[in-house]
Amino acid sequence: MGDEALIQFALSAAAVAALIALAAWAKIARPVGPLDDARARALLAEEFPGRSVDAVWIASDGAGALARSGGMALVICRFGDGFVARQIPWAQAVSSSFRDGRLSVDLADIAAPRATLSLPSWPPKNLAA
Amino acid sequence: MKLDPVTLATPLFIITIILEIVAARLGKARANYEPRDTAVSLVMGLGSTMSGVFTAGVVAASTVWVYQHRLFDIPMTAVWAWAAIFVLEDLVYYWFHRISHERRFWWAAHVNHHTSQHYNLSTALRQTWTGGIAGTWSLWLALAFLGFPPAMIATQKGISLVYQYWIHTEVIGRMPRWFEAVFNTPSHHRVHHARNAVYLDRNYAGILIVWDKLFGTFQPELDDVPCKYGVVKNLGTFNILRVAFHEWIAMGADVLKHPRHALGYVFGPPGWSHDGSRETSATLKARANVSAGVGANALDAGAGGQGAEALS
Repeated sequence: MGDEALIQFALSAAAVAALIALAAWAKIARPVGPLDDARARALLAEEFPGRSVDAVWIASDGAGALARSGGMALVICRFGDGFVARQIPWAQAVSSSFRDGRLSVDLADIAAPRATLSLPSWPPKNLAA
Repeated sequence: MKLDPVTLATPLFIITIILEIVAARLGKARANYEPRDTAVSLVMGLGSTMSGVFTAGVVAASTVWVYQHRLFDIPMTAVWAWAAIFVLEDLVYYWFHRISHERRFWWAAHVNHHTSQHYNLSTALRQTWTGGIAGTWSLWLALAFLGFPPAMIATQKGISLVYQYWIHTEVIGRMPRWFEAVFNTPSHHRVHHARNAVYLDRNYAGILIVWDKLFGTFQPELDDVPCKYGVVKNLGTFNILRVAFHEWIAMGADVLKHPRHALGYVFGPPGWSHDGSRETSATLKARANVSAGVGANALDAGAGGQGAEALS
């Protein structure tokens, strides 16, 4: 890389850093409130249209939800100022690691590797099977 | 230092992003910036300029070689030649862009540009790191074969990229009707970046929207279907390496897992699977259409259309 290209790259990197700082200062992300039952169900209906929902567990901080839909678990978790949704086999969700009130769900997806949900307990005893 | 249109326009990129952020901060314009999302977009843009260096030699050498076997001698100084390359380069761009959405191998390179859940000027700079490897640049060799000088092709490609920068915004609603009829606009391109079923795989245009109208891929922005941005399965990570390479890795994993169906997983449409367990844009659109009946609003699966299967 020549000197001119190096200078160009350095200036571009500095500009990128400044713009990120400006975006952080501006605080103009979308307002994203905590999920409640109605909002979680609406979001599940958007992301998984037509899927019936047997039961929903809302994260205690409202940052996500996990629903059972037949043999599948529908997972929604906050990402930035939006949400990300994935479905995994229910058995996989049931066997997810639960420690200190946090459920860590392996989504088995390189683009969305893991969802973490704050829940009072896991797995739910009546629906674990 | 190369002085192509994109390099020359870089200060404009920076200034307009600042203006968009400040205007939104002051409540004067509609724009949302999430800092980590913005960081990913801008670092992807910076990285794409670096990654381009690695394949620039191959691209340039191939273009020059093809130009040496050209059909015609097209003068770079003629106005008609610039008018011709304006139209023809835009036609090449349309097909590059269409194939980049409709075949997974090229989607793996292009998907990066669509992974933001935001639509602002920084999204325009969220560019691929693997475009050179994907080889879509070879489509532009047709212009060199016709006889357009390589420098002229590179300049027009740059002009097209700079044009497409300003349309990545929600600040501008709609342009005058005559402009919307002919040119790609923020409204048309918002549709292109939306994940609503009705908007999937539409509006591939670079500068002239007429190609979409000609080839049947045009979809106007609907007032009752607000755009939801991103990809069908949105990213759940800000890790820049995952953002840059996730579709390549997922495609490789599918090929290793199902080698007998490798061709389908590589060259089929994104979402294709040998057992039909996943959904393509076509199946998503069909499901939304069938379940919702008529009516543009109902076509929006993301707004609660009653489908038979979940996104997978």
